[in-house]
Amino acid sequence: MIGEIAHFLALASALGLILALIFNAFFYSVGRHSNQDILSYKLFHQSCLLIFISFGLYIYLAITDDFSISYIANHSNSQLPIFYKITSIWSAHEGSMFLWIVFLTLWSTLFISSLSFKHPLKKGTMLMLTIIILGFLLFLLITSNPFERILPFGVLEGADINPVLQDPALAIHPPLLYLGYVGFVISFSFITAYLFHGDIHYPWEKDIKNWSFVAWIFLTIGITLGSWWAYYELGWGGYWFWDPVENVALMPWLAATAFIHSLFASSKSNILKTWTLFLGILIFALSLFGAFIVRSGIIDSVHSFANDPQRGLYLLGFSGFITLISLGIFAYRLPNMQSSKLIVTGSKESFLSMNNILMLTAIFSIFLGVTYPLILEFINGDKVSIGPPYYNTIFAPLILMTSIFIMISLEALWQRGMQARTLLIAVTPTFVISSLILYFIWYFVQIFSLLAYIGIYSGLLIIISYLLKGAISLKNKTYINKGSFIAHLGLGLLFFAVSMNSILSYQKNINLFLGEQQFINNSITEFKFLDLQNIKASNHDVVSAEIFIVHDGQPIYLNPEKRKYFARGQITSETAIYATALKDTYLTIGDQLDDGSWTFSLQINYFIKWIWFSSALMVIGILMTIFKKKIS
Amino acid sequence: MSAIYRFLIILLPLIVLITYGAILIADKDDALLYFEPKEFPQFDLQDLEDREIDLAAFNGISLLNVWASWCITCLVEHPFLTQLSKNKITLIGLNYKDSQMKAKQWLGKRGDPYIFSIYDPRGDLAFDLGVTGAPETFLIFNQQIIGHIQGELNQEKWQSTFVPLINAATMLNK
Amino acid sequence: MKLSTIVLFGCIFLAAYLPADAIYEFDNSVKEKRFYSLISEIRCPKCTSGSIASSDVPVSRDLKQKVYELILAGSTDKEIKTYVTDRFGASSDYKPALEGANYLLWFGPFIFLGILMLIFLSNRRL
Repeated sequence: MIGEIAHFLALASALGLILALIFNAFFYSVGRHSNQDILSYKLFHQSCLLIFISFGLYIYLAITDDFSISYIANHSNSQLPIFYKITSIWSAHEGSMFLWIVFLTLWSTLFISSLSFKHPLKKGTMLMLTIIILGFLLFLLITSNPFERILPFGVLEGADINPVLQDPALAIHPPLLYLGYVGFVISFSFITAYLFHGDIHYPWEKDIKNWSFVAWIFLTIGITLGSWWAYYELGWGGYWFWDPVENVALMPWLAATAFIHSLFASSKSNILKTWTLFLGILIFALSLFGAFIVRSGIIDSVHSFANDPQRGLYLLGFSGFITLISLGIFAYRLPNMQSSKLIVTGSKESFLSMNNILMLTAIFSIFLGVTYPLILEFINGDKVSIGPPYYNTIFAPLILMTSIFIMISLEALWQRGMQARTLLIAVTPTFVISSLILYFIWYFVQIFSLLAYIGIYSGLLIIISYLLKGAISLKNKTYINKGSFIAHLGLGLLFFAVSMNSILSYQKNINLFLGEQQFINNSITEFKFLDLQNIKASNHDVVSAEIFIVHDGQPIYLNPEKRKYFARGQITSETAIYATALKDTYLTIGDQLDDGSWTFSLQINYFIKWIWFSSALMVIGILMTIFKKKIS
Repeated sequence: MSAIYRFLIILLPLIVLITYGAILIADKDDALLYFEPKEFPQFDLQDLEDREIDLAAFNGISLLNVWASWCITCLVEHPFLTQLSKNKITLIGLNYKDSQMKAKQWLGKRGDPYIFSIYDPRGDLAFDLGVTGAPETFLIFNQQIIGHIQGELNQEKWQSTFVPLINAATMLNK
Repeated sequence: MKLSTIVLFGCIFLAAYLPADAIYEFDNSVKEKRFYSLISEIRCPKCTSGSIASSDVPVSRDLKQKVYELILAGSTDKEIKTYVTDRFGASSDYKPALEGANYLLWFGPFIFLGILMLIFLSNRRL
């Protein structure tokens, strides 16, 4: 019964949106605010409300174990804790698509209601948003219906959920990521409405600035959470694999970062408008591309939802449709958008332009890496694999260029060029200090890797230049943008930590009998296999080892586990990690050999905590920027 | 100048759209037809009955089927292989990472469609062939590998992948 | 206490500290680093994605063992990769070879960068 109601509400919502669309489009006239507008706004917001109620009911269905709903039966289970019953909703295609639409609707209804009735772009933005929500809602109801019933009576118990998904970080990673992904529909739609409207003097940046910042924060946290989960759960000690599905989340993030930078220039000095408008459209277009890639089955990835080409074609077609509309209007207005002012070489704007160019190149590289294997196989059947070796090689020089430009741009002024002398005096200390630090690192570590050292140097350039700038401004009591300061320190730290992690981390495979101990190296002086327990938990068997390690004099007890789940016979490995500021002692159990001994994989991963910290810094920096105006 | 940019702004996404559309619609099985022929690797193994292997068996058209007694999908595939062998297709088995006794028992229970099975307990030959698991089947023509299917061999895959390759090979040889 | 007992206990005590047979035991750290680096660049043939370093399926283990043996036998990184791709296809190397169409792959991003910079330099009103 409830399932039918929820389904009906979703259908009613679609109908409401269609009506809102018709009213909005039919009565669209630039500048007039008539009664029909009130009607279309009401229809819109009420349709959005219906979607929320429908989803709320769906959550109720999941919590109450309604296994007559096919999707809930396939992805949930009565033995699950309530938290995981809810999060199982977005563990596969239909449910996660539903969540996507809910967030799309949420952002849209909040934004539209934040615009005043007389706002010139309210109608146009709502029109665009209605089309987008409707497109996805129809997709959901027609091809991926989460309300489908198992007739006539449903099943008694749900399927066992993949144990890997029963993890808090992984459970909230999709919602946070989607909030980010989808949040940029606001800039996409608003910019399209702005361009269509044609009044180039309207200060559009102000209206979407904070919305874009917030979406950026969600996207950053979502990506970081996925990375963090991969590190502590999957057991291979890595946190980023350049998997196609990771890549399609990174591309919008890069575009969004370029966008929020470009937004500064655009709102401050009326320059880089065309760039900013384009980027604002690109972000959501890339999000759409990402949704298509993940759900179409075109790419084999551990992440992708199993799907059929039919759904893929719809998503591709619809995404292409709205992107081309938006870009079409953009192209049409392009001549009017050009700035009357020339960008001066060496000005802050020129560096922001350069930043945009580098970000676009990074996006292109990832896009190339994702698309090239598909095209090659399509053309002549050759298969090629693209992964970390490719992306690391391409990104290292890009990151170096970015860092050098960031460093120089600190000295740049708005709308004016720089004097070569001032520049030299300003950047030389940073170059010198960074080079010295790099030399010391090489001296102590005695390991060399070109790509990693480029990364370390890039990180140092950013960190040192910002620290110096901060020190000077503190001394002279001049203004410094605190949010930008923190965020960029975070970026520099990210480059530094990732690169240091890649050269310092190492791994040892160890083979021991129970009770035995071993000397590993001068740092890990003792590794003792203390205990092995076989435990039976509710839905799995556990082999739990207790290991005692002396690492740099620090005694550590670790309990790695191997689990075998009854339902599917799936075996998972639970990593045991002891994390300090500098390095993580990271241990997984391998197998028992024929002679009864066990193998262990011990990894020492350096600077891991700094990677998560750098992401936090970037988020904090943006938060400070959002709230800066409120404080002052 | 800006006219070119405006044109490109529309054209480039359109190209992406069409490219991905084409890839999506394309029939993935065709890729298997682009197979690059490979020499059959050297090996030093006996068959399940401890007899030496006569490489003459690899002349003409034959199928090398990777199987094991522990492999569940091989059970599903077995009837089809039996049917093929009745239709005079030469089937050679590659017993992969298995116990010799269990393998012989398996064949005894279900019937032996192979003229013989190479006994590869450590998976050495399988490794050199690029086998990733069982079941897999290689199409061999005059000691050259001209086709490779991973997973179950059934009527559909036989028809769409191996038959065209066999026809192409026998035609070239005439 | 008799001397022999002391010696015996001493041996047992020491034996506990002797490095047991590690699975991939190397005599020098350069080879060890090469090993871990190589296995992160070789794709697991059976998995949907991921390197053999992060995979525990039988064929990944076989591959890791083979890479280990080849390093000990003195093969270069290139030879090892060729050995693997000869058997499991070019797609088992996560570093596409610099040949043919792959030039587009490796140089594409920088060509793109160059084009964008040219556009920017010639048109400053964006």
